[in-house]
Amino acid sequence: MDGAPKLARLLEHPALWRGRSAARLEVLPSGFAALDARLPGCGWPRTGLIEILAARFGSGELYLLLPALAALTHATAARWCVWVAPPLMPFAPALVSAGIELDRVAVVGGTRPLWAFEQVLGSGACDAALAWARQPKPRELRRLQLAAERGRTLGVLFRPLSAAREASPAVLRLGLRPLAAGVRVTLLKGRGVDRGMIELAWPEGAPGRLQG
Amino acid sequence: MQPEEAQPHLTPARRTAQALRALTPAHVPGAAAGELWVGVHLPVPVPADALQRLALRAGRYTPRVSLEPPDGLLLEVKGSLHLFAGAAGVRRAVTDECRHLELPSVLAFAPTPLAALALARAGKPRAVLDRSALIGQLAPLPLETLRWPGEILARLARSGVRTIGAALRLPRGGFARRFGLAQLAALDALTGRTRDLRQAFRARVRFRRRHALSRELEQHPAILTALTPLLADLGTFLRAHQYGVLELECLLEHRHSPPTRCLMRLAAPVADAGRLGELLGERLSVLTLPEPVRGCELRSAALVPRRPDCPHLWQPGEHGGGLSSEASGLLELLRVRLGEEAIYGLTLLEGHRPEKAWGKTAPPATAAGSRATPGRDPLRAARRPLWLLPAPQSLPVRDGLPRRCGPLRLIGEPERIETGWWDGDEIARDYYTAADPHGVLLWVFRDRAAPHGWYLHGVFG
Repeated sequence: MDGAPKLARLLEHPALWRGRSAARLEVLPSGFAALDARLPGCGWPRTGLIEILAARFGSGELYLLLPALAALTHATAARWCVWVAPPLMPFAPALVSAGIELDRVAVVGGTRPLWAFEQVLGSGACDAALAWARQPKPRELRRLQLAAERGRTLGVLFRPLSAAREASPAVLRLGLRPLAAGVRVTLLKGRGVDRGMIELAWPEGAPGRLQG
Repeated sequence: MQPEEAQPHLTPARRTAQALRALTPAHVPGAAAGELWVGVHLPVPVPADALQRLALRAGRYTPRVSLEPPDGLLLEVKGSLHLFAGAAGVRRAVTDECRHLELPSVLAFAPTPLAALALARAGKPRAVLDRSALIGQLAPLPLETLRWPGEILARLARSGVRTIGAALRLPRGGFARRFGLAQLAALDALTGRTRDLRQAFRARVRFRRRHALSRELEQHPAILTALTPLLADLGTFLRAHQYGVLELECLLEHRHSPPTRCLMRLAAPVADAGRLGELLGERLSVLTLPEPVRGCELRSAALVPRRPDCPHLWQPGEHGGGLSSEASGLLELLRVRLGEEAIYGLTLLEGHRPEKAWGKTAPPATAAGSRATPGRDPLRAARRPLWLLPAPQSLPVRDGLPRRCGPLRLIGEPERIETGWWDGDEIARDYYTAADPHGVLLWVFRDRAAPHGWYLHGVFG
């Protein structure tokens, strides 16, 4: 009789994978309800590598992440949020207005972005790490994914949309195209996600939404 | 000491009491009876490191040396008198040391440190070896020798008290009330009524060890292997002294070229030889050597007392688990491999010019602690792009409108930023948000000065 609650509790264990089931993942709300509803576990995964494939640089890929990054850097005992070899300079005033705590942000420059990204992911010193890469090899991607799990870090790798056809060990892959006042997200890969498209509108007053 | 059998009348309890009495100085009302201090006063101003060097040399005569910056030094020499032919011998030796460093000096001997200093400062090179003669010798000295605050000295002088003797004659209660407890305590320490404890000077500890190689090495792993015994020595040294190293210098010697220096800066004190070896290996792997290596040397540039690590209950990231050791490890790894400037933090600056509204700073603190939340200014940042170009990039113009992969569509009202006339770096620009044909939002501006060019300055992201 009392087996059902016990079973339900057991099934909630994060180590138990039941396909597209409700096995509880440690997630981070993305800040966009429509996106959360479609993501496995209703949010960004807390650890692991995710890939965001943007049609062009500046398609809104960062705005998609900002609410989650803001929440991470504001948490008590927050770890670092590291930007590895960003293509341009992250503009500090805009980060602050998006609610990101600059005290937790570090930028890594230098000549070996993928090596640095792997060290950052595996160090355990970061809550999140962002990196930009053009053509990482499958082996390197696998190493990044393992490092992210080892360091309990959310690793975000930004790549061009043309990489959508290649296989990847990332836990989640999203394609991105800009829209007039938002972005069209294509779910490419994820644990038990329906592949498909979501259209997100930037919230009122967001810097991305300046139409009219 | 008598053997135990010789005193059969002593019960164990009495023996314990006797031993205790021997250990505790027989009722010390103040100073330990058997102290003799040398006060060294340097009448000419000297640099701070000269005093330290003198203290180092004075360590030959007694282990109890204490600094009295900026111009004084104290040595407790009671135990060393018989080794240097009495007070006169010690005086000769210490004076020689001062002369060797070319420091003019005045030396005085007294049973209390403050009295020795006061005598030396007064320019009276006396040797007061007997407690009973101390007050008589101190009485005529001016009160200025005690270095009290000028205001108190002035008040004492107004009451006609100019010498130590006169101050000692005042009733204690009234003196403490009128001139402060600190001054009364100084008088007590001066006369030996209370004990005057001094912090002992400790010489700076350094680690430096050289290792000549039996043959010339070229390969980095081989060099690292050759360094391993030195690193092990360093680890033992650090453990024994409870120090951590903050800066480690490794010198690689060659046959002809000057030695290759390789300096490692660590984010937090490290005492683990294995970890230092890993970091040094990373550092060596990116080093280009002009010649094979013939010898190597390790030097600790900065040693700090180290507190042992306290392992955290939680894993990092779990329930706010600790971060410091991981963060400093990452910081060091990136620094040794990519260079000192490879990792930095961001900060806001006071400035309306977009280029001057932000700056690079040191990487974030390694420990998650209290953070000051900067005031957010929603107006200022509402329309700022997430990415800023290092320098504005000129855009081609057709029909009066800027183009980038096609004509740009300007959105909304322009924002005028016109500032900086005071430092010669003046700007006058109208900033627009613009969408390119692919829907990417850009931050562009039109220069208000001729020739009114259009520039790309940011990408909204």
